[in-house]
Amino acid sequence: MKSVESAKSGNYLQIDHIIKKLLSSEGVILKPSPEAYDEFDEVKKYFDQKPEEGYMIWIKKQIKHPLSTCIAISSPKVHQRLNNLVIVESGIEAELYSICNAVKPILCGIHEGHTKIILKENSSLKLRHFHKWGTSDKVKTTSEVVLEKGATLFSFYKCISPLRKLRVESNALLGPNASANFEVSILAKNEEAELFETMILDGDNSNGVIKLRMISDSNASIVSRSKIVANGAGRGHIDCMGLLLSNNSIISSIPEIFTKNKGAILTHEASIGKISEEEIYYLRSRGLSEDEAINLIITGFLGETLLR
Amino acid sequence: MLDVRNLIVKVNGKTILKNINLKIKEGEIHALLGPNASGKSTLAYTIMGLPRYEIISGEIWFRDINITHLPIEERAKLGIALAFQNPPVIKNVKLSLLLKRISRDKAMFDIKGLPLSHDFMEREVNVGFSGGEKKISEIIQILCLKPAFVILDEIDSGLDIINLNRLMKIIQEKLIDNGVSVLAITHRGDILQFLDPDAAHVMLNGEIICSSKDWRKPWETILRCGYEKCGECKERELLTD
Repeated sequence: MKSVESAKSGNYLQIDHIIKKLLSSEGVILKPSPEAYDEFDEVKKYFDQKPEEGYMIWIKKQIKHPLSTCIAISSPKVHQRLNNLVIVESGIEAELYSICNAVKPILCGIHEGHTKIILKENSSLKLRHFHKWGTSDKVKTTSEVVLEKGATLFSFYKCISPLRKLRVESNALLGPNASANFEVSILAKNEEAELFETMILDGDNSNGVIKLRMISDSNASIVSRSKIVANGAGRGHIDCMGLLLSNNSIISSIPEIFTKNKGAILTHEASIGKISEEEIYYLRSRGLSEDEAINLIITGFLGETLLR
Repeated sequence: MLDVRNLIVKVNGKTILKNINLKIKEGEIHALLGPNASGKSTLAYTIMGLPRYEIISGEIWFRDINITHLPIEERAKLGIALAFQNPPVIKNVKLSLLLKRISRDKAMFDIKGLPLSHDFMEREVNVGFSGGEKKISEIIQILCLKPAFVILDEIDSGLDIINLNRLMKIIQEKLIDNGVSVLAITHRGDILQFLDPDAAHVMLNGEIICSSKDWRKPWETILRCGYEKCGECKERELLTD
């Protein structure tokens, strides 16, 4: 319940299919997405059809504080089908924390979330998305991002609690001088996980980075496919790193770079390995137990930013 | 304090240490001299308990406890600490966090008076550290452990004279003046004049071939003739206690 409780101070709280809290602030329109679909012709074009549930956040003026949303499952066998939309107007810098979780361990829930993000010219969004599910839950989360000229996205997704099935898909289209950074960190145990990230560097001088950190343990399988396509003279880099903690687990990682522009520079690096024994021994020589040493290394490996 | 008895150690099936005997009393400083690849670091890692170093026979006692088969962290908790010659990088973990996790009294180590910048503490452990920064990082970590016995493995290597002076001042004030015993491993001997050890030992091909309570005697011979002549030296002596 902790993340739900902490979200009570946030902007949007949905439990199962019920919206418990919806708090707009100055310069921000926050609506349930079905309502936004009916109310604003301008946002209608971003949905294929009228959404069933979800939120729309339209940031029209500069905001001082980060926004936050929390979508939780608390009843058995709930199937959420969320369609979210985030629009950041030109020149605005915004930050969004998004938490999705199950409040009990075995609810057999399904969480399907599709989020479309429109970053207008020279706008910027820092998005931190945290998932915490139960071992019987299935989750599919998709994000589709359009970055107009000069827009910037930093997107961090983290899921370290084991669930039954996880699929994370992120797609971004970058205009000229736009910059996007996808970071995905997952720790899978007894779980099937699939990660698909695609960036299209459509405009010149666009810059895209995909960074994956995957840990597979106890009969888990992680399959990742990351792709950067350069139509314009942009720069792109894919960085995939995996750690395998047990012999009965799998990681398959396929980075792909594709260009049809001679001015583009695309690079990738991928590695899968085990935790270095040398690092463990080093930390144990400082008095940490083997488990404490491994936890510190794993937390560092998955971390969005440096551990403080 | 430390009593290494008839120690034979293999690494990857090859015998590296051959019948090592070494006694260090409370508060004593000993130097272990020897050329590269003579087995000095192997002895350090074996005392610390790294599993790659396979003890074939012999025992290691620390403060009357047989630690020959104790896990690394248990040895650390008893008060043994090692300043690594080539410490590994711990990515994405800040030095300040590591110090917080390992500090004995769970309070952040007081770094006042140490030549450390805030930026340095906020860097990832050993990532992009210069030779000198690695040594300083090792010593700060060791100070956080409040050890009783410290092995300094080539702590003088890769340091310019200014940084060596700084580091030795910290070692003197924070460790030696507080009664901590030290085994200083070196092949160049730069730190001998700083430490003025109570005894010096010379290791060649995995054996301690000379031990003296006057470190100048073996060191002057080494300076004069080189390590390769140590085996032929008629003046070499072995301490019995």
